[in-house]
Amino acid sequence: MSTMRINPVVEQRTRQSPVAQWWDLFLMELTNWRWSWRMTLITGSLAPLFLIILLGVFADHQARSDLAYLLTGNMVIGLLLGTMTRIINRVEFLRFGGGLDFFATLPVQRFLFVFAMIASFLVFSLPSLLIMLTVGAWWLALPLALHPLLLLVIPLCTIPLAGIGVFLGLIGRSWGEASSWGLVVSLLFSVLGPVMIPPDRLPVALLWLGYLSPATYAASALRQVVIGPITAYVLVDLAVLAAMSALLLWLVERKMSWREN
Amino acid sequence: MVVYDLQAVTKQYPQQPQPANQHITLQIHAGEIFGLLGDNGAGKTTLVRQMVNLLQPTSGSIKLFDKPIAHDPLHTATTVGYMPQDANALNNLTVGEALYFTAHLRGLSRRDAQQERDTLLATWQIGDLRDKYSSRLSGGQRRLLRLVVAMAGRLPVLILDEPTNDLDPQRRRMVWDNLKQLNQSQGTTIIFITHDAIEAEKIIQRVGILRQGELVAVGRPSELKKQVAQQLRLELFFPPETPPHLPAHLTPHQLQPGRWLAWVERGDIGQVLNGLNLEQLDDFRLYSATLEDLYVHYANQSRR
Repeated sequence: MSTMRINPVVEQRTRQSPVAQWWDLFLMELTNWRWSWRMTLITGSLAPLFLIILLGVFADHQARSDLAYLLTGNMVIGLLLGTMTRIINRVEFLRFGGGLDFFATLPVQRFLFVFAMIASFLVFSLPSLLIMLTVGAWWLALPLALHPLLLLVIPLCTIPLAGIGVFLGLIGRSWGEASSWGLVVSLLFSVLGPVMIPPDRLPVALLWLGYLSPATYAASALRQVVIGPITAYVLVDLAVLAAMSALLLWLVERKMSWREN
Repeated sequence: MVVYDLQAVTKQYPQQPQPANQHITLQIHAGEIFGLLGDNGAGKTTLVRQMVNLLQPTSGSIKLFDKPIAHDPLHTATTVGYMPQDANALNNLTVGEALYFTAHLRGLSRRDAQQERDTLLATWQIGDLRDKYSSRLSGGQRRLLRLVVAMAGRLPVLILDEPTNDLDPQRRRMVWDNLKQLNQSQGTTIIFITHDAIEAEKIIQRVGILRQGELVAVGRPSELKKQVAQQLRLELFFPPETPPHLPAHLTPHQLQPGRWLAWVERGDIGQVLNGLNLEQLDDFRLYSATLEDLYVHYANQSRR
């Protein structure tokens, strides 16, 4: 039997740092743009934009507050349809297409893979948000008052929704099941709470249920940093979104097993 | 040095009447080329998925370099390059990207990973595919990419699940030649599943034969052949419409039109060859039992 002659490169090898692992995984996940950009454009930008244009025709253009709900609510719907559902597709593809096996047999930390996937879909969401913000505001003749907190609000709006997407993708029992649930959740999040409709026009039950939905806090935070005015509530919105992000990332990291039983 | 030490590994999937693997005890040594043969559904893929820590055994233990693989998930990942049967994870990447990222994540520096990518592209003659998306490759090219990705980073152990399926004969030969070369030059331990027993025989040093989840034979092919086949294999090629006169005691059976197989006792071989009228034959081949014969023997033995 031959003796082992491991290549010196292997002997000197150390595991990549977490930052290097994350960066590689992030770049690899960014390549999803190659297949998902059309769908993201259609469901994440065009569909909500059409909704803004359609509802904008009937909206009272004197009621600036209503228009603000219409614009930012649809930006959240864009995140639900364009980011959450796409990430569900990605996780289903990895789970049922054998892709997770590839990552599971690489020396990478599981949570870094989850962070990289969510970060890449956060990047994908930016063009859609920008399109909706500029075209939507122009159509509704709504003056924008962008606040620097927007840079913090956008990731905190995206991460919980993406986290829910990963979670749904992981619990689906067959290819397509999680995507179906994703549409149901998107619809629920759109109508629960004051996302697109001002709170004074919502039934009390929906208003209360809305407090459980990250979309409510995302829409509220977006409204304040995009249209204004900024109030103390933005801190509550950001705190809740940050807590939901942490909880969902923890849940997803625990749920995503590299190893089947 | 023992690379893999499997002790009584059993895998029972839920709601399946039979275990996929039953009490498999096996040791694989450093620098060895080990082939796993077996029918479809014999439990080969289940076994290697447990060895790369993708699947948890129902009972039994698996150690890699004397360390239980379940204790540290990254131990296997830093030591073993695995080629699965399917891997759509690479679909969005170009061939060059897949090799570079894999090599870098396996611990090479960025510069070494770039060199590794270029070396692998050249060694495996796929330089022209470097900028092509994996999803646009043919079935054979994708399988070759999965194989080359498993090698990226030069890990000391390779586990390959059917590396030559879908490949054309030229590429199959290149795979066996390159694997042998890798084993000899770097001492890489190579474990692979194959149905291509005849071609794999060129490089296999030890073989394990699985049947209905059980490991029914393990050993060097030459040792196993001695146990099961004292006869030599004589293949005769002649036009079906003009069968030759054969020695009376030779009773061939047809493998395919124009190709016949007869088993000959070692002591009778001179007499048989003298009795053949070579002018009536297109060709003939004489060799000892192949790995495929061995596999068929054990598979049939277990069925009896």
